[in-house]
Amino acid sequence: MNKGYLCLVLHTHLPYVRHPEFNDFLEEDWLYEAITETYIPLIEVFEGLVKDGVDFRVTMSLTPTLISMLSDSLLQERYVRHIGKLIELSEHEIERTRFEPEFNALSRMYFKRFKSCRDIFNQYHRNLVSAFKRFQDLGKLEIITCGATHGYFPLMEVAKSSIRAQLRAAVSQYEKVFGRPPRGIWLPECGYNPGDDQFLKDAGLKYFFTDAHGLLHGSPRPKYGVFAPVYCRSSQVACFGRDLESSKQVWSSIEGYPGDYHYREFYRDIGFDLDYEYIKPYISSDGTRINTGIKYYRITGTTGQKQPYLPELARQKAAEHAGNFLFNRQRQAEYLYEILEKKPIIVSPYDTELYGHWWFEGPMWLDFLIRKIYFDQNIIQMTNAVEYLEENPRNQVITPSMSSWGYKGYSEVWLQGTNDWAYRHLHEASWRMDELVKSFPEASGLIRRALNQALRELFLAQSSDWAFIMATGTHVSYALKRTQEHIQRFNKLYEEIKANSVEEPWLKDIEYKDNIFADIDYRIHQ
Amino acid sequence: MAKALKKIKKVSSPGKAGIPILHRVPTSSGSRLSVGKKVESLSSKVRKVLSKAVFKKKPAVKAKTTRLAAVRKALTAQEAKYFTHPENRIAKTVQAVEPARADFEKKELPQGYDKDLIVLQVRDPWWLHTYWEVREGTWGKLKNELAKLFATAKKVLRVYDVSCINFNGSNAHRSFDIEIHQNAKSWYIDTAGPGRSWCVDVGLKLSDGRFITIARSNIVTTPLDAPSWVTDEEWMVPDELFSRLYASSVGLGGSPVKLKAPWLELQKRAQGSGGVSSGFFSPVKKEEYKREFWLVVNTELIVYGATEPDAKVTVSGKEIALRPDGTFSLRFSLPDGKQIIPVKAVSADSLDERVITPVVTKETR
Repeated sequence: MNKGYLCLVLHTHLPYVRHPEFNDFLEEDWLYEAITETYIPLIEVFEGLVKDGVDFRVTMSLTPTLISMLSDSLLQERYVRHIGKLIELSEHEIERTRFEPEFNALSRMYFKRFKSCRDIFNQYHRNLVSAFKRFQDLGKLEIITCGATHGYFPLMEVAKSSIRAQLRAAVSQYEKVFGRPPRGIWLPECGYNPGDDQFLKDAGLKYFFTDAHGLLHGSPRPKYGVFAPVYCRSSQVACFGRDLESSKQVWSSIEGYPGDYHYREFYRDIGFDLDYEYIKPYISSDGTRINTGIKYYRITGTTGQKQPYLPELARQKAAEHAGNFLFNRQRQAEYLYEILEKKPIIVSPYDTELYGHWWFEGPMWLDFLIRKIYFDQNIIQMTNAVEYLEENPRNQVITPSMSSWGYKGYSEVWLQGTNDWAYRHLHEASWRMDELVKSFPEASGLIRRALNQALRELFLAQSSDWAFIMATGTHVSYALKRTQEHIQRFNKLYEEIKANSVEEPWLKDIEYKDNIFADIDYRIHQ
Repeated sequence: MAKALKKIKKVSSPGKAGIPILHRVPTSSGSRLSVGKKVESLSSKVRKVLSKAVFKKKPAVKAKTTRLAAVRKALTAQEAKYFTHPENRIAKTVQAVEPARADFEKKELPQGYDKDLIVLQVRDPWWLHTYWEVREGTWGKLKNELAKLFATAKKVLRVYDVSCINFNGSNAHRSFDIEIHQNAKSWYIDTAGPGRSWCVDVGLKLSDGRFITIARSNIVTTPLDAPSWVTDEEWMVPDELFSRLYASSVGLGGSPVKLKAPWLELQKRAQGSGGVSSGFFSPVKKEEYKREFWLVVNTELIVYGATEPDAKVTVSGKEIALRPDGTFSLRFSLPDGKQIIPVKAVSADSLDERVITPVVTKETR
């Protein structure tokens, strides 16, 4: 008998990184790696499930920045170039490893995978958004939106028109791409501040997610903890809370599945291991060694001595871990059903890049899990927020608590010594944007273009990714440059618009570089 | 650089002011101060990192990348081999070698926007962040008006507890002052007051006791750090049941949890140390490889030769492509053991055939 629901949420986001002004660009690789290692493997999993008649429900956010990048012809072309080089490298590897059967088999595996990536990429006419849309149209995938450029809302509380604009731009893009309005949203960084739900309602959104303490510390106390959604007071938008127990099983660096010794070792890549002259054509064009994606070892143990990766063994582990995850959800659901006298919903959100990019076997694990849920049992049923609410329309009304899913659960990641200087500029830019919208209610021609571009620059500066990167200390100079550059471009536009002296060639140049949201309307910022 | 001034300052315990704090933080002030230190050290770390443009590989930054390349050569073999992410290594490298060039990246952003303003933000249930700006002209005006008093006036932040009221400047539940450095532009404020509303003035405290407000902030509310004491009649939940649910929600199984236990502790226990969810970070910790010195030696074998350009050549039975001039070159990883590598060439008309078989034995001692 069904005792509860599992709502898997995959938050799929990358910041907008696109540099047409350079022939190749290190940070663009984030997208190419995610396509090869995560997005395409997931599409393959979904395709297999559909083909085999397995009914499933997965919720997936696709952030507006990611949708823009996946739909961008320049980046699509560059991905084809990128995967072409990987195929070439894996061919060389097949030859080079001829006397080492284990590595030779692995190089063949990579060759096959890369070729298949290229095939699938082309099969969807280079636009993977259409692949995800297909599964949404089939009723299996629930695609939700996110802030336009992943701006962190709790630190925009003095610039609320920016929150509204982030939502409006996101909803408008979603409608164009998916042919219907979005029903739900993954708040950037899962960052919620009481009252923001009203903006969600105004944007037509019906539900969102918070971290566990967003519900648990809400007022009044939520009767069912995180195991039933609540409606926010006044806005009536539904809020689902994250279950940390299921998160921990996958995420935890200590007890999580991805650390199993049989799984592929992420940190041994031939981009670093092989002879420099040999690998040089396949690493960064400035000669910096980078990850290529070809990795031959399994985690093995806690020392530097690594054994060759054995795919079949890893596959068995993934199946075993999927079984373990399901077993734990069954016990959890039974326990909760007993104490709640109601079927619990267990919400398990993850960063999508965990599956495939960091945890190579992740997509396979997901495949096993979904099949086991479908074929092997009936205690747990997969669901999404919309179906759950249809079945359970009556829920408690509370005010959730401010929260995020960042380290320590609040805003410290995005507000600390490394990045707090930025808010002075970001807030000022939001206020200036307000001022411009008020001053130019009906702009046209060059001024209109400048106003639209000003909003693009503001959006790009607001990406929470920059503050996050500054906090974590990797790629810092890139994040600084992006923040600084977009604010500067915004400020210059602001001055020029006010002085009615927009420098057209320069505007044209930044329109070409920062081309996100082609048909943006600056008036959404109010 | 402004960052150096952004220190976290512990203010006097507000609980003593007589306002009931509903959720006191059980952690010691010492541990909160350590947060401050952490922030500072991170900040200095970034300063070092930022001093180096590892931005990209264009001619414009050629000099820098070349320098980086030189730095990279100086890395130990261990770092070069077992290092995790390229970005980690670069950051590490830069830190180790490059002297700080503070604020290089941000120097072109305006210092201010010619406003008198102060903005307040919530960092977490206990801490607020505020930044402000006061125009030169405003200082000048104050100097004129206050005359002698100006010289002895102290620049302070006055923090008001304005929970559940319409704050009019004089009806706060209580307030406390933080004396700030002359050049400070932002501050972290320890309120020790989750679930309360706050407002901050930046102003001058005069020697005669008067306080002059220069700018007043927006009002913010810190979140609770524990479950609410408010319950819902219709959706009543017994304490004991809620404890079990709470424990279950945060991944502590069925064990009941004390309701007043701070969220942070639960968060730490539930998440382990790698709880940050983001695509930039692996949930799998890199195994730290701590040996001081080490060596890796691998061998590769190059087999090369030439024949008629239109001949068919196989190596160990597998056909290979010849260059237009009839030469070929193959590169193999060479493990220990004996490799027999027959190279066979057959003429285009299939009449001639040559076989040469290198036998290579590799042994590692």
